[in-house]
Amino acid sequence: MSSPPKDFDRPRFLPAFTALFFVFLFAPIALVALFSFNSTRSLQNFQGFSLQWYERFFDNESLRESLIASIEIAFVTMVVSTVLGTMLAFGLVRARTRWAGSANVLMLIPLVTPEIVAAVSALILFTQIGWRLSLETIMIAHITFSISYVTVVVRARLAAVNPEVEQAALDLGATRWGTLRLVTIPELWPAILAAGLLVFALSFDDFVISFFTTGESPQPLPVRIYSAIRFGVTPTINAIGTLMLAVSAVLIGLAIALPRLLGRRESGLGVLVGREAA
Amino acid sequence: MLARSVGFALATAGLCLVIGYPVAYYIARFGGRYKHALIALVVVPFFVNYLVRTYAWVALLADEGLVNGVVTDIGVRDEGIRFLNTSWAVIGGLVYGYLAFMILPIYAALDRMDPALIEAGKDLYGTRWNTFRHVTMPATFQGVLAGAVLVFLPAVGDFVSAQLLGGPGTYMIGNLIQQQFLAAENWPFGAALTAVLMSFLAIWMVLYLRSAARAARETTA
Repeated sequence: MSSPPKDFDRPRFLPAFTALFFVFLFAPIALVALFSFNSTRSLQNFQGFSLQWYERFFDNESLRESLIASIEIAFVTMVVSTVLGTMLAFGLVRARTRWAGSANVLMLIPLVTPEIVAAVSALILFTQIGWRLSLETIMIAHITFSISYVTVVVRARLAAVNPEVEQAALDLGATRWGTLRLVTIPELWPAILAAGLLVFALSFDDFVISFFTTGESPQPLPVRIYSAIRFGVTPTINAIGTLMLAVSAVLIGLAIALPRLLGRRESGLGVLVGREAA
Repeated sequence: MLARSVGFALATAGLCLVIGYPVAYYIARFGGRYKHALIALVVVPFFVNYLVRTYAWVALLADEGLVNGVVTDIGVRDEGIRFLNTSWAVIGGLVYGYLAFMILPIYAALDRMDPALIEAGKDLYGTRWNTFRHVTMPATFQGVLAGAVLVFLPAVGDFVSAQLLGGPGTYMIGNLIQQQFLAAENWPFGAALTAVLMSFLAIWMVLYLRSAARAARETTA
């Protein structure tokens, strides 16, 4: 805010508390990253830089397959749920039926359902219809929850689009398809992009739903991490964790930077933060 | 089991509030031009895989972990401290996992609030505490409520924290559900537990939505 900070409601402990909070927030993650480069197995003393835990990860063929499986799942989820979610957003914003209210509520339910409930439901569904658990079942389960995220993000943007601009395009002789392609979609593009990257990150990181809907092999990376942690703490997990951290960081960076490069300030981070607070 | 899950989730929401409110307050009121950067810093760790974040605590708190290494090195105690397999470890893991869901809504509420209200409280000779209690807290109540619900709902159903940081003595309803489906093969019981969990959470959800709707009506009226 523009008003200068007053000391009145700034107790001295606040800055210190906030600083401590950030240490608490980042220290564990930083330590995981640091010890992934340790030259020995120790998780207590850092004894020199080495990449051996990363080598061990990439030498392990089944872990490599898991990484590829995770990327495949996240990619398919991103593409399918972005298309479906954007279409749903159009329906919710533009269609003026008496069902719009209920459809809105239905759309939000996946966002507030505990993951384990969604996971169990998906597992029971797939078993009942006799669909063998595999990468496809994970993809379908991921797409189901991802659509809502895309819709929430895109809908907010779509509601802000001035319908008169589209009206003007139609008056000037553009076809409906031409208007959509040349006027509406360019306007929505940053939101669609941010939603797609967000969904990619959510799917790539998802554990609970993957855990319940995965087949024998290859299993997505988070499921492998989970089994590995249960057998004890090893530096290889540090390396996998750090790799996943790097993927997430790149995705967030893209989600923030790309809309800006396209010349819009308001999307990107705002979209992501808004989604968490929604 | 359900009682323990609810207890853990309530403790988690409470701790998130105690930690999150001052942080949100500081960032919203005194963040200045770094406000957006600071709130982004709060969000970033939550894009790190939840398993990896929980694992970080396992590595820190294990009997052979970093914290116990430091404890024995500086000679506080000869033996390490047992952290894992305790309720506090599980709750700590949950707090670390869901803290952002508490901070963001409170931050949003504080950010919307007119700072002049606090000035007015001061001008009217309110003490810091009274101004906070009678001005700031009511103004941000909806944010706190939203944060509590957003932390509480996923925390009740969580099983990762109890599995990795706790042990059989600290299992939550999520662990029981998971066992029914993936180990005990008792699917009907697992489905029943899931239905109980879902209906229990639905009650809270409806109560929250009604409160939020009422507040929205009051502010527009």
